[in-house]
Amino acid sequence: MRVVEEAPMGGGLLTLIRRTMLAVGAGLAAAALIRVRGTGGVAPQTGGWRELRGDDLT
Amino acid sequence: MARILLFGLGATGSRIARQLVSTGGVEQLEVRDTETAVIESLVPTLGPRVEAGSGREVDPRLDLVIVATPHGTQVSLARRAVTAGVPVITTSNQTAEVRRLLELDREARTHRVPVIVGAGFMPGLSCLLARHASHEFDEVDEVHVAKAGTGGPACARQHHRALGTTGIDWRDGEWTRRAGGSGRELVWFPEPVGGRDCYRAALPDALLLAPEFPGVQRVTARQAATRRDRLSAPLPMLRRPHPEGGIGAIRVELRGSVGAERRVVAFGAVERPAVAAGAMASAVALRVLDGSFAPGAAGLAAVNDTVALLRTLAERGVKPVRFEGLSTFG
Repeated sequence: MRVVEEAPMGGGLLTLIRRTMLAVGAGLAAAALIRVRGTGGVAPQTGGWRELRGDDLT
Repeated sequence: MARILLFGLGATGSRIARQLVSTGGVEQLEVRDTETAVIESLVPTLGPRVEAGSGREVDPRLDLVIVATPHGTQVSLARRAVTAGVPVITTSNQTAEVRRLLELDREARTHRVPVIVGAGFMPGLSCLLARHASHEFDEVDEVHVAKAGTGGPACARQHHRALGTTGIDWRDGEWTRRAGGSGRELVWFPEPVGGRDCYRAALPDALLLAPEFPGVQRVTARQAATRRDRLSAPLPMLRRPHPEGGIGAIRVELRGSVGAERRVVAFGAVERPAVAAGAMASAVALRVLDGSFAPGAAGLAAVNDTVALLRTLAERGVKPVRFEGLSTFG
């Protein structure tokens, strides 16, 4: 005689919820990582700031 | 001798008051603020030419009204001044409010008074420097502005909100909506601020700059932020903002052509934002009083005689800088 084990009532729903939460969590983690990481630009290698002089303001 | 009414005595407003009373041309300065304690503590320190007032009415006999109240409250006060036929200077850096202030243009022309929109650090000095730099070009293609730092608590709250709100850029002849906190770019500010990561935000600068540079292809504005700022931008402020921020900076970069040559010019300034905004607004006040501004509503990019205004500003302690050796930016 074969015995077929059935998942308890609502088991499929719980699995679905768990997997959805896992997917949403992974998505949020990836989004947060992309948001805070990344590369900046390159600082100027030459030149510098100077105050405006008299001849700049004529 | 001029009679001036100043609304708002926050970090910027109190600096404007101090700057104005140090000027010989001001006969009387009336200051109004919703917080009585601020009035009571500050007015006695400002000298005999300053008196406390209340309410929102504007006397038509005034020579100038300056509005340095928190964002969202400036339009109605500016409109009262315009209706009374009194020139008005505003300091707002909120996009929606700046748009509504610019919409006062027709009313201002009808009453033949200037409405100066955004006379602070950025917008304000940034717009003036953009106009000043544009004199070196035959044609301006791009204007990019950025700021670091905040002034008083109202400015800090606006900075926080702006980072989590959609901003606008001018691109190829049309307005483009951009997500706040996107578009990371390392911007090199004057020392000691130096390099800071800057992001798009709900900043009104493109609204003030694009109309003043016909034919410009791109106008963008960014503000410096940390990673924590970006992550917490969608949330309410978790801590009460500081009474006043530290040193701040602005950077204004223009790209365009001189004859057949492509050129990049960068100007900047470094100062505590509220101090710079106070100096800028008071310098503009002096120029408005001597009749240098035409009727209508516009930002400081509409100023033609930038040198005179920059000189007035330098006399008040804020000296802009320019970057030399831009080959690496080309």
